[in-house]
Amino acid sequence: MKEQQSASAVPKGEWEARLADIKYTLHLFRKNPLVMAGTIISLFFIGLALSANIIVNPNLALPTGYTGGMYPFERKYMWSAGSIINWGPNIAIYKGPESFLLGTDGWGRDLAKMIVLAVPVDLYYAAIITITAAIFGTFLGAIAGYIGGVIDEALLRITDIFFAFPALVLALVFASLPQFGRSLDTLALALVLVWWPPYVRLMRGQVLSEKEKPYVEALKATGAGNTRILFRHVLMNAIYPILVQVTMDFGGVILTFSALMFLGFSPSPALPELGNLAADGYGHIFDAPWVILFPGIVMLIISLAFNLVGDGLRDVLDPRLRR
Amino acid sequence: MRIYEYIIRRLILLIFVLFAVSVVIFYLLRGFPTGIAPWAAYINSKMTADQIEAVIKAHGFDRPLWEQYFYWLRDIFQGQWGLTGIWAQGRPANEVFFNHFSYTIELAVSGVILTVAIGIPLGIISALKNNKLPDHVSRVIALAGYSTPAYWFGFMLQLVFFYYFSLWGLPHLPSSGASTLGVSRITGLPLLDGLLSGNLAFSWDEFLHLILPAFSLSFISLGFLARIVRASMLEVLRQDYITMARSKGLTERVVIYRHALKNALIPAVTLTGIFFAALLGGAMITEYVFSWPGVGQQALRAVFQGDSNFLLVYSLVFAAIIVTANLVVDVIYAFLDPRIKY
Repeated sequence: MKEQQSASAVPKGEWEARLADIKYTLHLFRKNPLVMAGTIISLFFIGLALSANIIVNPNLALPTGYTGGMYPFERKYMWSAGSIINWGPNIAIYKGPESFLLGTDGWGRDLAKMIVLAVPVDLYYAAIITITAAIFGTFLGAIAGYIGGVIDEALLRITDIFFAFPALVLALVFASLPQFGRSLDTLALALVLVWWPPYVRLMRGQVLSEKEKPYVEALKATGAGNTRILFRHVLMNAIYPILVQVTMDFGGVILTFSALMFLGFSPSPALPELGNLAADGYGHIFDAPWVILFPGIVMLIISLAFNLVGDGLRDVLDPRLRR
Repeated sequence: MRIYEYIIRRLILLIFVLFAVSVVIFYLLRGFPTGIAPWAAYINSKMTADQIEAVIKAHGFDRPLWEQYFYWLRDIFQGQWGLTGIWAQGRPANEVFFNHFSYTIELAVSGVILTVAIGIPLGIISALKNNKLPDHVSRVIALAGYSTPAYWFGFMLQLVFFYYFSLWGLPHLPSSGASTLGVSRITGLPLLDGLLSGNLAFSWDEFLHLILPAFSLSFISLGFLARIVRASMLEVLRQDYITMARSKGLTERVVIYRHALKNALIPAVTLTGIFFAALLGGAMITEYVFSWPGVGQQALRAVFQGDSNFLLVYSLVFAAIIVTANLVVDVIYAFLDPRIKY
């Protein structure tokens, strides 16, 4: 169905047609400067996440060689001397031998290095949460839409219940489970539980409209089984809006995840994670504003980059908007 | 199906959903093996074993879980929503909830007003100048809106409009909290109470306190709204009746503001209802950042104290708000768009 939309190349076979479609999509993608910017920034952060532990020694997050595993008091909430930024009168200036690009946090650690260490944590959990929720919701939505009847109704009612759930209550319960401990994994599980219902609705709607199309009838006439029709053909044609939603959700998940960390659901206050680093600056906003400022800006850039890609994808993949 | 049949069907479903939500939340908060005693929030370290026993009895934690649930359900219908823990001096949960709820409503209403006032024009500009510079600019603003960490943005507003403005000797806005000037309680909404009782100084002070949190809250949703308005405006502008209107020789202004806008704003109207519900619930982070005395901040305290009574009230009221808002929005949609049949 998509194949007919692309103006270029008369479709020869299934794969040639798909390839031509992808080429045309990439062409549209390149034409939009914002989307390209988003893609480049996203790739940069993914690259940074993959190499973070090589760039910065991960042991710096929990420094050794000091009493109590913490840096001395003279390094906490400090801004380097000789910096061009003047924060105001209440700032403590560090006059020691080291220099910190973005100052130090409440643990006396170099904030710039902690941000580098935090990027992979945030990206990893956001990816896990989004993809798990998307796969789970898409699967249920496809089944609900394709089978219909009682199963459809039951699945829809269950999603209704989850739609009405305050995320925080789930986070609380999971955060206090002694079996798992208060860990990032349990928090991720809580977020998956509130994030899958929209995918059910989205996929169900897609499948409902797809399954009335002639090609499904043709497949049935050739004797194709329901499982094959649904997962090989219908799902393939209905997947584009899901992809867009995943990219857009990624930015939202990363914000929610770090917001929960900021609100105090972190397993350890010393964990390098963007929300957790920012939480360190709560109460020090006027004497160490950089502790919130820089982790937040990084968070904003990551989220914005993924949203730009998702936004562009939606325009590019929407057959009515592609010209 | 007629519209009232549809509404009745939805109302029945609404009750079912709320019931199910209450069962699940009750189980999660009271019955889930969390390792923390459900009465931990209601006792303190000075209590003797007998006193603790009395607290457990008073709250009914010694009964089996299903019995607790039905007692709780009965009490809810009788207007007794349990007592809070020591963090709120053990006052009735509904009293604590509704005392703070008015502040949350005030914040959410201001947030919605700002969302609509900024989001809709932004979306229209974006659609009319499709793929030109204004579109890119408004697209970045919109995307930045929902890519911004709410906690971070709130602090940045405080830093600039309170701290640096006062450092530079400019008129500055208050950094946090609500107005502390007293006002007599009429409707419960502080800003409105001030106006009704003629206490204009209070209302003005409250308004100043409200600006930064409300803007911080609306910044996230106005991006969404702008995107939706842009998409639906583009959709409408491509339709035949717009071509028809243009070919009649109508000026572009009339085509856009009389013909296109009416249809393009339908999704925006319905979305505003959803936003109101979402902002009420999502105000928690903003309230935390600005020390705004709303209900979200209380819920956060209850969360870390493990106060199941307050959290049950909180989550149930918000579940009710979300499902009701969805229903209202769907019904309004049917009235606004005659093409929709139920």
